[in-house]
Amino acid sequence: MSARIPDTHAEAWALLPWLANGRLPASDREWVEAHVAQCAECRGELEAQRKVATQINLDPSPAGNDEQRSFNKLWARIEASESAAPSASGAAGGFVASRSSRTVRWLAAAVVVQGFGLALFGFNALRTNTPTGEIITVAEVPAQRLNAPAVRLVFAPEASVAAINTLLTHQGLSIVAGPGTSGNFTAVLSADAVASGASADSVAAVISRDPNVTFAQPVAR
Amino acid sequence: MALKSVESLTPRAASTPDASERELLERIARSKDQAAFRTLYGSYYQRLSRLLARMSVRREDIEEVINDTFWVVWTKAGEFRGASQLSTWIIGIAYRRALNALRRAKIRPVSDEPFDEDSISVMSTDAAETDGQWLALGLTRLPVEQRMALELTYTLGHSCEEVAAILDCPVNTVKTRLFRARETLKQVLPALAGMSGEKS
Repeated sequence: MSARIPDTHAEAWALLPWLANGRLPASDREWVEAHVAQCAECRGELEAQRKVATQINLDPSPAGNDEQRSFNKLWARIEASESAAPSASGAAGGFVASRSSRTVRWLAAAVVVQGFGLALFGFNALRTNTPTGEIITVAEVPAQRLNAPAVRLVFAPEASVAAINTLLTHQGLSIVAGPGTSGNFTAVLSADAVASGASADSVAAVISRDPNVTFAQPVAR
Repeated sequence: MALKSVESLTPRAASTPDASERELLERIARSKDQAAFRTLYGSYYQRLSRLLARMSVRREDIEEVINDTFWVVWTKAGEFRGASQLSTWIIGIAYRRALNALRRAKIRPVSDEPFDEDSISVMSTDAAETDGQWLALGLTRLPVEQRMALELTYTLGHSCEEVAAILDCPVNTVKTRLFRARETLKQVLPALAGMSGEKS
């Protein structure tokens, strides 16, 4: 039995919504139920509130956004923020790369090499080992190209290497960084693309509609 | 390919108990665990989408508010001390973000137009459908604070104290808001009219 038993109509009336949703604390539920049992008005109101609760829950949820796409945007934002921070990554506060994301890095590095070749920027080739022992080649980009208009993008999981190559080639894009742990890359526009009037904004707008891309935005310079 | 690491994290924990959600938060705070973050995000996405829609936040802006909310979760996970339910903390962040956005008019209300009562079909033979239409009408008549108190109580099932924490107001204010919301709904919902008897 509760130490406090107001048992007033007004107080019971105010608590009826939580009697209806089952979240009234036991200390209150006891006396409110006792009041409702002998109060016709409160019984009617409780019934009415249960009806409202039922109706609200029957009301269909609004057509939602694509949850995965939304998360990809957030993750790209987090990665951009983290990568913009002083390079203390790996230390406290930095991202901890999962095994799967490390695997993606190797896959993506292979994509970079397959897609663009070393000749494009006169890359210096580095050799490194994948987790499986496979040797791949990773490219370095001349520093002056890193200031070119750029977009940040995430490829669709099902996108093939060939489709990515075609997309990037058509848009005059070359990947210079990535992937982050969510798979986002940074790609710069070629000098020819810029000369023909393309901008980071226009290219991001175009490729964001491509089914092989789940996220694209211009990189602020 | 590139996103497989994210895609394969399999969200969906719509009814994850608070203890499980706290464990996810601890993993985020301790090791910036992406999988835990993705799961927590998934468990709140639909709840927040619905709540924000009720606040008159447009669909295209809902994503922004949710992501702003989870940006805070990501960056402040280590600061959550457990004084309240985790859901109270997260939904409270979303509520304040949405209010701020609405106040700045950065996020536009869905409509300032009065509800068109003629749009409710008098020929409908589906009572539930008609009641739902009247409820939609009633909700549009409520100030956002009352609408939120109602939604948090009846859809998300929060206690009065939790609603007060989310809305950052005293418990008695929550009771008052719901009292007024109930009165307003009774005026526009025919099915509720006359359900309460005379005062005892």
